[in-house]
Amino acid sequence: MAKTFKLEVVTPERVVYNDTVQSITAEGIEGSFGILADHAAMIAELQTGILTISDVNNKTVRFALDGGFMEILSNNVIVLTDTCAKEGEVNVEKAMAEKASAEKALLKAGSGVEKEKAKAALKHATTLLKLANR
Amino acid sequence: MLSTKEIKQRIRSISSIKQITRAMEMVAASRLKKVESRVLASRAYTERMHQILNHLVSSSSLETAHPCFAERAHEIPVIKIILITADKGLCGAYNNNVIQKVVKFAKEHADKTIRLVHIGKKGNLYFSKGGYSIEKYFPENVEKFGYSQVKTLASHLFNGYEAGEFGQLYIFFTKFNTVMQSFPSHIQLLPVEKGAFETKEKLYREYIFEPLADQIIEHLFPKYIETQIYQCILESLTSEYAARRVAMIAATENAGEMIDELTRSYNKARQETITKELLEVISGAEALIKG
Repeated sequence: MAKTFKLEVVTPERVVYNDTVQSITAEGIEGSFGILADHAAMIAELQTGILTISDVNNKTVRFALDGGFMEILSNNVIVLTDTCAKEGEVNVEKAMAEKASAEKALLKAGSGVEKEKAKAALKHATTLLKLANR
Repeated sequence: MLSTKEIKQRIRSISSIKQITRAMEMVAASRLKKVESRVLASRAYTERMHQILNHLVSSSSLETAHPCFAERAHEIPVIKIILITADKGLCGAYNNNVIQKVVKFAKEHADKTIRLVHIGKKGNLYFSKGGYSIEKYFPENVEKFGYSQVKTLASHLFNGYEAGEFGQLYIFFTKFNTVMQSFPSHIQLLPVEKGAFETKEKLYREYIFEPLADQIIEHLFPKYIETQIYQCILESLTSEYAARRVAMIAATENAGEMIDELTRSYNKARQETITKELLEVISGAEALIKG
């Protein structure tokens, strides 16, 4: 078996995941990257996207993250994110509604801040849907 | 001395008060349980956030450049304070303790302008009378004050700070320790105290940053402020329910004691009337026999 390391995914509301894993694929601001055991120390900012984990039983677990930060330090990985949905726990109807309202907001949005906000919401919704449909 | 009827009435009203206080105690207990798990979860997040920021700051050399670290208290003599209180009373000294702390702080910093941001009705009520300048009041329930609201508040404050509206930002809240113990406390949110991020070991110098460290800091700092505000709200909420629970337990106990006492005096009064009536009957009978 491949070497393993510890992963914690934490939101302000709960500790979503805390287990030993074999590999992680994350979407950083500058593109996606993979992590295996004995990775060099790193701090990265994540974009809204999907975090894929391969756990000790070679099972794949996927999460939709709403942005966040990741620290890798001596085989301990911490992911901090605002909200996080686990695969299979996505409320598809709600995500659809969110997507629709975000699209509407994007059309209406005038100023830069509003536009950014709507864009972020849209991205979050599409990520959720992507996670739900595989 | 009260008549038996009056005493009975009082016993009845105190029993119903006791019922109410007991119900309030149980409500507070169940809410406390819920919010306690939330505060513990959020503590985990806050701690890790602090750790990452700590490593980030100690392994890069940009700390002095960022406005969050810049000491501007002398240039801009305005202090902004976020005060977290409860919406309701009946929770012992909870509200008063933290309010008095703000009052004391304001006296110590009388040379500066103090602007208050209130979360919770009681603090707003107190300070609206005292000639303080209240900048913002959130009329929402403290309990409903979720992470998204905190985000809006934090970004508003952060922009204000960067625009130079105020030189320092404090938050006054009540730190939860155990049900019997919580402390009114305050934290300086901005500028970020450098002391908070001084690591003893400077071991982790060889971090890879993606994107560049100063870009991460740019995004991580507002998040850090958010997290701290959110954490403080949860701490306060937990302390509030704990304080209310303790206050209601005491009230229920007191009501029980009062009922016991009143029952005793009721029995005494009843005994007295019986004795009096008996005496009247006996003396009446004696008078008849004599006559």
